[in-house]
Amino acid sequence: MNVKILFLPILLPFLAGILCILGRKQRIFAEGISLVAAAINLFIAFVLFGKNINFNLPWLSFGIDVSLRLYHFSAFIILAAAGFGFLITLYSLFFMRAKEHLGQFYAYLLISVAFINGAVLADNLVVLLFFWEGLLMSLFGMIAIGNKNAFKTATKAFVINGVTDLCMMIGIVLTAHLAGTLTISKINLPLGLGASIAFILLMIGAISKAGSMPFHSWIPDAATDAPLPFMALVPAALEKLLGIYFLARISLDMFQLTHESWLSVLLMTVGVITILLAVMMALVQKDYKRLLSYHAISQVGYMILGIGTAIPIGIIGGLFHMINHAMYKSCLFLTGGSVEKQVGTTNLEKLGGLGIKMPVTLICFVITAASISGVWPFNGFFSKELVYDAALERGLVFYLCAIAGSFFTAASFLKLGHAAFFGKPNPENNQVKEAPLGMLVPMIVIAAGCIIFGVFNSLPLKYLITPILGAKLNGHHFAGMPANIKLVVISVIVLVAAIVNHIFGASMKGSGLKALDYIRYAPILSGIYNKAEKKFFDPYEIGLKIVNLVSTLSWKIDRGIDWVYDKFSVKTIFGLSMRIRNLQNGNYSLYLVLSIVSAVLVFVLFFAAL
Amino acid sequence: MSHLLILVPFCCVIILNLPIRKVMRSLAPVAAIVLSLLQVVMVLCFDCHFWQTQFGIIGTFFKFNLVVDRLAILMLLCIGIVSFVTAVIARVLIKERKERFDFASLLLISLSALNGIVMVRDIFSLYVFLEIAAVISFILIAFKANLLAYEGAFKYIIFSAIASIFLLCGTSLLLITSGSTDFSLINASLTAQAFSPSIILAVGLFLVGLFIKAGVVPFHWWLPDAYSEAPSPVSVYLAGIVTKAVGVYALIRVAVSVFGMHKSICTVFLLLGAVTIVVGAVAAITQTDFKRMLSYSSISQVGYIILALGSASPLGIAAACFHLFNHAIFKSLLFVNAAAVELQTGTRDMDKVSGLSQRMPITGLTSVLGSLSCAGIPPLAGFWSKLLIVIALLSTGHFVYAVVAVLASVVTLGYFLVMQRKVFFGKISEEFSNIKEAGLGIVVPEIILAAITVGIGIFFPVILNRFILPLGG
Repeated sequence: MNVKILFLPILLPFLAGILCILGRKQRIFAEGISLVAAAINLFIAFVLFGKNINFNLPWLSFGIDVSLRLYHFSAFIILAAAGFGFLITLYSLFFMRAKEHLGQFYAYLLISVAFINGAVLADNLVVLLFFWEGLLMSLFGMIAIGNKNAFKTATKAFVINGVTDLCMMIGIVLTAHLAGTLTISKINLPLGLGASIAFILLMIGAISKAGSMPFHSWIPDAATDAPLPFMALVPAALEKLLGIYFLARISLDMFQLTHESWLSVLLMTVGVITILLAVMMALVQKDYKRLLSYHAISQVGYMILGIGTAIPIGIIGGLFHMINHAMYKSCLFLTGGSVEKQVGTTNLEKLGGLGIKMPVTLICFVITAASISGVWPFNGFFSKELVYDAALERGLVFYLCAIAGSFFTAASFLKLGHAAFFGKPNPENNQVKEAPLGMLVPMIVIAAGCIIFGVFNSLPLKYLITPILGAKLNGHHFAGMPANIKLVVISVIVLVAAIVNHIFGASMKGSGLKALDYIRYAPILSGIYNKAEKKFFDPYEIGLKIVNLVSTLSWKIDRGIDWVYDKFSVKTIFGLSMRIRNLQNGNYSLYLVLSIVSAVLVFVLFFAAL
Repeated sequence: MSHLLILVPFCCVIILNLPIRKVMRSLAPVAAIVLSLLQVVMVLCFDCHFWQTQFGIIGTFFKFNLVVDRLAILMLLCIGIVSFVTAVIARVLIKERKERFDFASLLLISLSALNGIVMVRDIFSLYVFLEIAAVISFILIAFKANLLAYEGAFKYIIFSAIASIFLLCGTSLLLITSGSTDFSLINASLTAQAFSPSIILAVGLFLVGLFIKAGVVPFHWWLPDAYSEAPSPVSVYLAGIVTKAVGVYALIRVAVSVFGMHKSICTVFLLLGAVTIVVGAVAAITQTDFKRMLSYSSISQVGYIILALGSASPLGIAAACFHLFNHAIFKSLLFVNAAAVELQTGTRDMDKVSGLSQRMPITGLTSVLGSLSCAGIPPLAGFWSKLLIVIALLSTGHFVYAVVAVLASVVTLGYFLVMQRKVFFGKISEEFSNIKEAGLGIVVPEIILAAITVGIGIFFPVILNRFILPLGG
């Protein structure tokens, strides 16, 4: 097979995307092209899976070569991205119909897929950076074509990712300096001081791409402003895949991260903080999509925690959780999309009792919600148990945080399901019907995937995940029921507690939506929540305040300098000039006196200088 | 040969005033043009040795000690050019035949006096020629014979008289202390005796006298009135060469050859030079009268020359002479521009005219060149001389004065741009929409002067090595 086939998954979607923009007037044209391109891309990904191909073309010298490397891990990510790309495209055919900027939407979608393929295939840090930064373009575009607030949100996403990408760029330079090469597969650094700094900088890039705290704050805004398929595709699936892929690469290959390292503790800390804070925010959301978006942040915490443990079971758990999360979160967003499409709103206060009218959507929702909450036998259960096991091994506190996150996750999904699909129907929604088949198919496929990955979990673990670590595992594949039954029991107890909590809360307030209000309005928490809702803790807003302060200051300095030039110097000189003019008033005796006085002064000066 | 430069114009005046005046009346302006042009050509063609040769019987009758060195050559050239320009534009600007004749006669006398100032080598002869030039200047300023002209002339007379008293006192004191009026003898006795009180007094008196003549601040009071109220050709002549030869050249000559650039003299030069630059430039900015603005600009530029002289280095002296020459060229050019504007519009008030470039393109263009040269914009001549001045100041460690010189240059650019915007740029006003470019008699001198200032700028490297640097000695 020709090695140049590696360019196919990059160039094909990219060129198809360009075509979509060019033919933006014809809706069918863009839709047709993107569906075909996504299908071919999926096919190519299938063909490439399981192959090992290296491609190298010298380019800019200084070690900057166009080098691509297809191996198990990258092929897996490409396959997953292609799968989501195809399903979401199919879904969008129906969802996006009658919306504006259709051509642009498909273009950005395909370009995102192309760049993700490129970033994953890249075996050179500069090439990786090129595709990585290129993703910002389609990210910005996709958010910006949303509603009227979208441009602001797009800017926010762009700025946050731009800043973290800058960190990553510095990290890349530092890594290349330390390793003496830019080729990723040749880098294997021990974590000294310099390498630790490089690791942290690269890590910032990776976890920011994955949407971890504190680089998360654009995701909830994008959930309400950007087109929904974007949420299902990019923050839920593609960016998680790419971010966690890169995090795994730097932890496993490029740096020798061991569980003794303080960086491992740092990663785990970032992980649990993300889990807890984001899920606490998810609890109190009153919008379908916004609630999901906080979970998209929260779940990243499990992946980071898993990889951060730096022990095989944790890494396998983290990576397994990555693919599981991509599936169920993307499907959850799609159920949100069908609710939005059929009902016209995702505001939970206006929803209710949709379960009877949209049974397929309900079933998909239940399956995926059970997955994310970690209910046996769905996929989320197995990956979470692996992460719990690893977390407990590294420290009780990490385990407790993770399990607490699980409790809140379950609680918030009980609330969401109750508020949207059960409870009292809203009289306005009597005419609501089930979503069209084209939207249901992707949801059903993904939900089915969740069941398969759960019930037959040895399948993905054996063929997709464990080969990534290869020989390090000594033949373990972690498939089947979790080894540690005690943890399973605790998980079940936590889930039962979440259900009891929900029943208690709902009966207290008489509404599923308000089941968690007692947490929202708890004494200390309510103050924190109030501030959080006003974006008081948003790092972006804090950054903006600092930037505004600096810019106001520099503006004032600039005005000051302008004033010196435009006002002060001119006024001084004109004032002086008028004085000299007034001195020359035609008074003859004055002239003479001044001259004589001056002559005396000249004498004095002459004398003094002698 | 050098005697001829004084005798020929002088004799020419006598011949022109012989009783057969009817013929001579039409001949006099032509004679002025021809003689000044001849001076330019002669100076350009022959070097110093030619002028030093004795010429038969003349040398036996006139026992002046005349010396022609490089600086004198430069000044003679300058005098020739400006006199030529003055004579040419006077033919256009002075309408009446009798007045033309009078003007030409006065110009010729003045020419011989200026040549004398440049070449003499003893302070008393210097004083005599200064007085001749001054008296001619009084008459020229009052040429229009109206009240304002008299006022300007009167101020000049009074100040000039004071200066003359100072100079004369200085001369006599020097004669008493050193027993001679010859430059080299005085210089020798000064170095021998060091500075006794009477010598200090003499030097001080001499310097103040020349400062008044040169219009250095704070002795400049007469200058704006005299320049702006004089008829246009006289303004060109006075600003271009008379005050420069009478005041500034004499100052350079006396300071270098007689007083020998003593440290305290240099201090006085530096301080007064800086003050002159700043006051002249700042005062120019709010002037509304075209010629008055140019007068202040002239004061300011004299400051540069004095400042360069104050650096006391050979380069500084060369830069001072070079700037003196450049200033003569571009300031004459600007005064000719002003004359053209006044002739065509009937006013010198810059607030009343606008957009004249549209109707007077050559005047507009040449005035831009003159202004930029004066403000020190490369590659025009003024840039190079100012650059040399700044380099001279920096190399002798006068950092503050160099900064003052550069900053004042910005102000210079400021007032010239204000002038350009008011007078030449923008839309032409209704009132002047039908005016025409001035006649050939004004346009040709403008072009010649502009060409010189551009040419010197462009061929500066050649000029620097062949003419400028040797000036410092």
